[in-house]
Amino acid sequence: MLNIKKDIDNGKLTFALEGRLDTVTSPELESAIKESIDGATELVMDFKDLEYISSAGLRVLLSAQKTMMQQGSMKVINVNDIVMEIFDVTGFGDILTIE
Amino acid sequence: MRSDFKEGTLTINLDGRIDSNNAHNVEEEIQAIIDDTRPDYLVLNAAKLEYISSAGLRILLHFKKNYPNFTITEVSSEVYEILDMTGFTQMITVEKAYRVVDVTGCEEIGRGANGTIYRIDQDNVVKVYNNADALDEIQHEREVARLALVLGIPTAISYDVVKVGDSYGSVFELLNAKSFSKILANEPEKLDWCVREYVDMLKTIHGTEVPEGKLPDMRETAIDWVGFLQEYLPEETGSKLMSLVEAIPKDNHMIHGDYHTKNLELQNDEVLLIDMDTLAVGHPILEFASIYNAFKGFFELDHDAIEDFQGFSYDIAQEFLIKVMAEYLGTEDEAKINEVLDKARILGYTRLIRRSIRRKGLESEKGRAEIDCWKNMLIELVDKTDKLTFTMNELDVEATIDNLDTVTGFVNRALEEFDCPMKTQMQIELAVEEIYVNIANYAYSPEVGRAKVRVEVDDDPLKVSITFIDHGKPYDPLAKEDPDVTLSAQERQIGGLGIFLTKQTMDDVEYEYKDGQNILTIKKKF
Repeated sequence: MLNIKKDIDNGKLTFALEGRLDTVTSPELESAIKESIDGATELVMDFKDLEYISSAGLRVLLSAQKTMMQQGSMKVINVNDIVMEIFDVTGFGDILTIE
Repeated sequence: MRSDFKEGTLTINLDGRIDSNNAHNVEEEIQAIIDDTRPDYLVLNAAKLEYISSAGLRILLHFKKNYPNFTITEVSSEVYEILDMTGFTQMITVEKAYRVVDVTGCEEIGRGANGTIYRIDQDNVVKVYNNADALDEIQHEREVARLALVLGIPTAISYDVVKVGDSYGSVFELLNAKSFSKILANEPEKLDWCVREYVDMLKTIHGTEVPEGKLPDMRETAIDWVGFLQEYLPEETGSKLMSLVEAIPKDNHMIHGDYHTKNLELQNDEVLLIDMDTLAVGHPILEFASIYNAFKGFFELDHDAIEDFQGFSYDIAQEFLIKVMAEYLGTEDEAKINEVLDKARILGYTRLIRRSIRRKGLESEKGRAEIDCWKNMLIELVDKTDKLTFTMNELDVEATIDNLDTVTGFVNRALEEFDCPMKTQMQIELAVEEIYVNIANYAYSPEVGRAKVRVEVDDDPLKVSITFIDHGKPYDPLAKEDPDVTLSAQERQIGGLGIFLTKQTMDDVEYEYKDGQNILTIKKKF
């Protein structure tokens, strides 16, 4: 289960995620990002209520990061310990901007 | 005119022809009997009625006035046609005569709780019910068999009801079939094959969800058994047994209820389940109770009796039972198998004792000896048992992404009873997802195949190992080079992280290709 809350404010695009970002739910986030990323200069991923992430979720983040590096910036906020650990093991702690 | 008056019901036997010549006389004759007996219900038995004309039909209508619910039974097909054409079958209750079938000398091919199955010719079998008044049972069995078939269980549905002596029977088409009991008796070398097919079918049954209210809840039945036994058991045993049964969780998956090898038929290459009247819903332990009884419980004091019932020896039955448990539970571990069997025995003995007492077992020496034997074992088992449920070691699913939740749910349930730290639990869940998704995406692509997931937990030190088995293309995910996690975002490739994450978070990951199977095992200490 994944709930995605989207907010667009001028060029600032925010996704607040709740639940699990896994093989089954990641395609939902991927298409939500694809739909709105054109013209965005700032992308914020709010992970406050994200409980779980697998490699499928990491792929979506990396691909968003690559796009945003061309047109602005991206940051991930409110990351919990479990998800942070996954970021660290995979080197994502270094390539993403995490607050 | 012959008639019979019993418990308020008057049955009048019609015979010969009723036409304009005698209709009036027949009516007077019947009326005289009615005046004499003043029945509450009227039944006209038409077994010997050869013909009825419109004059005869008119007198039937007269009786309908005073007896709106009267019925005509055992109507021949000729007379039925007349009643049907004239619309009488819509106005009065008409029961057709049943074809008469003689089973003298026919081969007995199966025997269930409420009847015996005979082969009447090459293509057909008849199930003869023990209960003489079995029409409701037959109707019930037809309905549940139809339900099971719709839900994907291969079974035979009866197409005709017949009269066999004083009992009723239902007729099924069953071509060239032989029961698993017969195979075990005559071809013992096929025992392992029988075990696999038997367990496959059992898992199909137990994996079938039944819509609410369609089948009885076996747990409720078991609560009734325990209620019955209270006065025959020590108080402490009785109340603990009740709380054990009440603690079995509700379960909406199907169980057969009388799943032994006479009720499984091999028809050409297809395995069919028969004798569906005991179908219910409930936790699998309730099924294992009746399985235990069929192969062991019933025969615990009289080992030879199984030969008469199943056609194979007690020794074969024990080998079969243990192998079935091992295959179903996905473990060779004797302690685990016995743990589940002991739980099954508790419910099995409960049922056997009640059954025997109700059949006046306490009045014979043999009956008392059996009841004592079961009761002593029951008391001992109840004393050392805290719950009747068990966790499965193995899951067998179609390897699709849709089944990911089933797989992670299964692993989580298996770990539930151990104190697994949250972080470890998450890491295990992650590894399970990564490996399973790999199998689902690549092992059989573009086709679909099955995957097995087996969970084993070691107590000391607490350690879990999870094995994934598929029959797909040989593929060693560990052979792939790890991604370089120090590269920048631009240089990083999308993908390849799943197996890497698994290797990083698990204590051990092993792969082997053996007997046409990819076998991948992950291990993690708690």
